[in-house]
Amino acid sequence: MNDTHSSPIAELRDVTKVYRQGALEVHALRGLNLSIERAEFSAVCGPSGSGKTTALNIMGALDKPTSGEVLLEGTDLAKLSRRVLSHLRRDRIGFVFQAYNLMPVLTAFENAEIVLSLQGVVPEERRERVMGLLADVGLEGLEDRRPDELSGGQQQRVAIARAIAGNPAIVLADEPTANVDSENAEHLLDIMEALNRDRGVTFLFSTHDPRVMERARRVVRIVDGKVESDDRRA
Amino acid sequence: MAWRNVWRNRRRTLVTIAAMSLALLVMILYAGLMAGYFRDMERNILDLEVGDLQVFAQSYRDNPSLYTRIEDPDGLLGSLEAAGVQASGRLLAWGLAAGEDTSSGASFRGVDVERDTQVSKIHREVADGEWLDPADPKGVVLGRRLARTLGVKRGGEVVVLTQGADGAMAYDLFRVRGILKGIGDATDRAGLFMNEAVFRELLLVPEGAHQIIVRRSQEQPLEGVADLVRSVAAELDVKTWRQLLPTLASMLDSGRSAMMVMFVIVYIAIGIVILNAMLMAVFERIREFGVLKAIGVGPFEVLRLIVVESAIQTGIAVAIGATLAVPGLYYLSHTGIDLGGMSMMGIAMDPIWRAEASPETFTQPIVVLLCIVAVAVIYPALKAALIEPVEAMRHQ
Repeated sequence: MNDTHSSPIAELRDVTKVYRQGALEVHALRGLNLSIERAEFSAVCGPSGSGKTTALNIMGALDKPTSGEVLLEGTDLAKLSRRVLSHLRRDRIGFVFQAYNLMPVLTAFENAEIVLSLQGVVPEERRERVMGLLADVGLEGLEDRRPDELSGGQQQRVAIARAIAGNPAIVLADEPTANVDSENAEHLLDIMEALNRDRGVTFLFSTHDPRVMERARRVVRIVDGKVESDDRRA
Repeated sequence: MAWRNVWRNRRRTLVTIAAMSLALLVMILYAGLMAGYFRDMERNILDLEVGDLQVFAQSYRDNPSLYTRIEDPDGLLGSLEAAGVQASGRLLAWGLAAGEDTSSGASFRGVDVERDTQVSKIHREVADGEWLDPADPKGVVLGRRLARTLGVKRGGEVVVLTQGADGAMAYDLFRVRGILKGIGDATDRAGLFMNEAVFRELLLVPEGAHQIIVRRSQEQPLEGVADLVRSVAAELDVKTWRQLLPTLASMLDSGRSAMMVMFVIVYIAIGIVILNAMLMAVFERIREFGVLKAIGVGPFEVLRLIVVESAIQTGIAVAIGATLAVPGLYYLSHTGIDLGGMSMMGIAMDPIWRAEASPETFTQPIVVLLCIVAVAVIYPALKAALIEPVEAMRHQ
């Protein structure tokens, strides 16, 4: 994998995605080009059905494009097997989902730890890293709680800790503030901003939330599966 | 995680485990009862009536005659004993038995009382009175229907009338020493057992035997023993019980096949229940599997997680089912089910139906259950392992 600072971390080149719904063809992406650089704090926005979540899913190797190229750190994902793709998601990509998607049977600590376990990190190091991460996201003392014992905002903070635990190249966050109240949304954004600023974690959001768009240093607007505007801020 | 997943939906898990445990319990008891049924049926045939093999003089079976005998039964019995099988000779004849008011055709069987106990357990099947005793030469034992026909009871008198080897009328008065339980149609209806010495004296048959009954140990294969006996008794007619009772042998074989068909049907039904439970357990969590795959859990790990979850449930079910089966099988193998006496194809069945309790009684249903679970879990596990993460996460 290419690890130079000059090349983009993730890149979509002329990507199309067509879904079939019975006899109907839905064109979610129509030749989308998008390049994400290291340490970006960017957001993809657009109306419902514009293709922003599809773009994130394809960039995160969760879905395959109908045509076009998807590159992660210079590697063409189309050439990778199912198993290698799962290793890539484990080691290089972090996900934060709108609905948190924590494992209900695991505690906050175990949820945040799961990627490190998959990576084969030894238990002592796992514990040290996860405890540090949970402290960073403000969950000190709540490590042993299960998701149903945490608020929505707290669950999303566990999800953020899980997403960055494995030191991914990029964190893809799909509507991360959609299910939390304003105060928690601001707090989550503070956390992610701090991680981006202090640890250099690359974030790409898919969002409707104006608060996210205000904080993002780059906002890409997608309409009808194509980039309509790409607004970079200082 | 697998252990916690198993218990997250406690009620469904308990229902699944209960279904599997119950199925296993039923299958173990059913397997034990059916094995016991066939074991007892075969044992009755062999122990009480025919033995494993019978040896006759050539042509005797085609034309049973007092004069067609095995010439040197003692020599043959010695050879068979030296070859490692138990054997005893019998004398056979037909005639008339008469009670006080009625008479009936009877099959007279002259028995070497001491030796016969090594090849037959009929001496244990006396319902009323006692088995033959050389010290009581005039004591005979009757089949239960013959006794009823003649209207005699234990201690009653029976006149035996037949033709001796010299062609003259032979008759004598005997005392009923015992009346048998139900053995089989032929014995029940006409069997009249007497001491060998008395038979020889009555029918003027000083030497020879009409029939030699041979028994083998359980380890010895039937055909192997048959070959052995044929090599010792080359000039004689050697028949296995399967040749003597082909209909019954084939009925036993087809009974065992029918039992296997029943097993398959029951197992398929169990398999559908387990498949349904596994499908529910996997598909209601398909979104979770999508998330696991999204964060880097590989297809094999997902497969392993589901297999481990079902292995935990199956392990608990096997432990419960097998544990419950132990007292059940103990009861069925010791006390059994009282059928009140019945016969099949002329062979008496034990009035008590007892199960067979052996390691196979447990291992076969357990192995089959494990195979069913493996087959039932493979589809949902593969489905979860191979589904695209995004497709799984769209699942509601």
